[in-house]
Amino acid sequence: MLCMYRNASPLWLDMAALIRGLRAGRALRGLGGVAVQGTLSPQCSNVRRGFHRAALLRLASDSKSDTSVPPPSYREVHTAGESSSSSAQGESSEDAQPNTSFQDQSGEHGEDYETEEQLQARILTAALEFVSQHGWTVEAIAAGAETLGLSSASTGMFNNGAGDLVLHFVAQCNAQLAETLAEQNNQVQLGQAESKKTGEFLKDAVETRLRMLVPYIDTWPQAMSILLLPHNIPDSLKHLSTMVDDIWYYAGDRSTDVNWYTRRAALTGIYNTTELVMVQDSSPDFEETWAFLDNRIKDVVNMANTAKQVQATGEAVVQGLMGAAITLKNLTGMNQRR
Amino acid sequence: MKDPPELQLVALRVYDASSYVTELERNMAASVRTLALRALSDSTRNIQHVSRCRIKHLCCRAEITGRRAYSDSTEGRSTHFGFQTVPEEEKAEKVYKVFENVAKKYDVMNDAMSLGIHRLWKDTLLNTMNPQPGLRLLDTAGGTGDISFRFLEYTRSMYDRQQRLRAKSHQTPSWQDIADHYVSDKAGPPQSRAVVCDINKEMLKVGKQRAEKAGIITGLSWVVGDAEELPFDDDQFDIYTIAFGIRNVTHIEQALQEALRVLKPGGRFMCLEFSKVTNPLLTRLYDAYSFQMIPVLGEVIAGDWKSYQYLVESIRKFPDQETFKEMIEDAGFFCVQYFNLTGGIVAIHSGFKL
Repeated sequence: MLCMYRNASPLWLDMAALIRGLRAGRALRGLGGVAVQGTLSPQCSNVRRGFHRAALLRLASDSKSDTSVPPPSYREVHTAGESSSSSAQGESSEDAQPNTSFQDQSGEHGEDYETEEQLQARILTAALEFVSQHGWTVEAIAAGAETLGLSSASTGMFNNGAGDLVLHFVAQCNAQLAETLAEQNNQVQLGQAESKKTGEFLKDAVETRLRMLVPYIDTWPQAMSILLLPHNIPDSLKHLSTMVDDIWYYAGDRSTDVNWYTRRAALTGIYNTTELVMVQDSSPDFEETWAFLDNRIKDVVNMANTAKQVQATGEAVVQGLMGAAITLKNLTGMNQRR
Repeated sequence: MKDPPELQLVALRVYDASSYVTELERNMAASVRTLALRALSDSTRNIQHVSRCRIKHLCCRAEITGRRAYSDSTEGRSTHFGFQTVPEEEKAEKVYKVFENVAKKYDVMNDAMSLGIHRLWKDTLLNTMNPQPGLRLLDTAGGTGDISFRFLEYTRSMYDRQQRLRAKSHQTPSWQDIADHYVSDKAGPPQSRAVVCDINKEMLKVGKQRAEKAGIITGLSWVVGDAEELPFDDDQFDIYTIAFGIRNVTHIEQALQEALRVLKPGGRFMCLEFSKVTNPLLTRLYDAYSFQMIPVLGEVIAGDWKSYQYLVESIRKFPDQETFKEMIEDAGFFCVQYFNLTGGIVAIHSGFKL
């Protein structure tokens, strides 16, 4: 779920720094997963251990290509700690380099060091291919792990089981959408493309995002029900809200009043209802879904226009009434001071 | 068997006042005596070894001190056996004798001591493991085979469930599907296999009898082996479990490394073990129950006070949840986490070989 912050759109730059800090903190806690009941120990040895545990899995025998030099004091403490643990003979060579690669978070370099999170992401991505066969279940994750050469016992890493798979897929789609929108924005700013009107932009964005569900549309109801499980609701709401926020940001919304909320609420409603329509749509290439989407967006745009008109009319009416009241007062002589 | 009077007095003063002290007193006195003798002999052996080192290797003192500090167990390192301190090579023998004595009544005593809750603990271990059909399990210190039986049962029912789900979604198969089904049915269901490994032959014997009674014939093997030196090749097993066994191992780090060795990439290490209770009120109750009730139960049901005294003491000597988690991480496992059961009386530790 953190990968959606990789595109550093201005709105998220400070958030990205915060998330990076949080991520480092989480790694220090050992990436133990949800069920760890120990608290972050202030002892140096624990921090050290968590640091290199969180790091690394060597997939190739050599390849120390990411060599950012760790601070020397850290390394001294580290080697002292390593020599004191009697069972670390085979470990010391492997653990001599972990903190270097951990600092480089830009992803894998082929067969280099990767973190546990990256491996989990790889397993889940591989598992997506088996969703049509097994559904959104732990069996799909097991099949995915096997294609990577890992035993299917590694599905135990995912405490949330199928929920992890669905959330990973949703995060992946949102990241893809954000990338597409950013690229379109770039093109508009470079003058290579025309900027679209709000309604059309929203329609295209929602359509792009919903089209990513097409390969999994048969099993998507199962995924939706998994996302609605109580322990998954916070995460799924977070994904949904950040996606809607991204779309409105690229649509050019910079409002700072109550409009911010109303716009996002409207788009959330549109997205959810269109998703539901899509799931039971059997027309060729989901034409009915896009027509439904079109109508809903038109409704929202009309509503916005109507709201503006009502406000203007209301102001005019109020002014007229005020004028009539003053005239009446003048006529009856109440305005004169006696 | 004449102890010098000073040693007896020391033993008496050192031990706590309790009415059931006499047997333990004798044990303490005996062990203190053996320790003293052994310390003497070891120190002479050490001196000889060191002098030989100095003559042979003219290298720095560091190596010698390194040798002495990291020398293996034959150089007189001692470990704990319950609350006693014994030389390392004796611990394995003593543990062997303990389990040899308790083997016949092991399951009965488990039920009596934990009021049947140990079944729930083992079921929770299996649910946490959530094994897919077709995996290979190594049940170390498996003894009477509780975990292996549950594993086979679980994978069998999981396979049946998967078949049922598959059948439900295939209500109207095409002719092609039916033809494929006939062709592929020759392979049969993926066979999950469990290997029970234990250092103690008596426990394995009891386990085999239980298996025969339960009618489990296929998918189960019984192997005699030491957890510190497993008789298996590398990369053999998908899941390695050790339930209530690792605190009896003399060198826990070695057992963890062996576990890492025999696991396939992606394999899972799971350990079910007594651990530190987190709730202070529960600690008091638990301690009272452990030290007052369990040895008594042991004497009454199995006729063996000392073995169950050892059991309770060895629980107190085992490292707590966080320390053990770090030990597992040091051995090279990833994504290590633990789950507390029954308020911390028992903890499941899990790690992956990635």
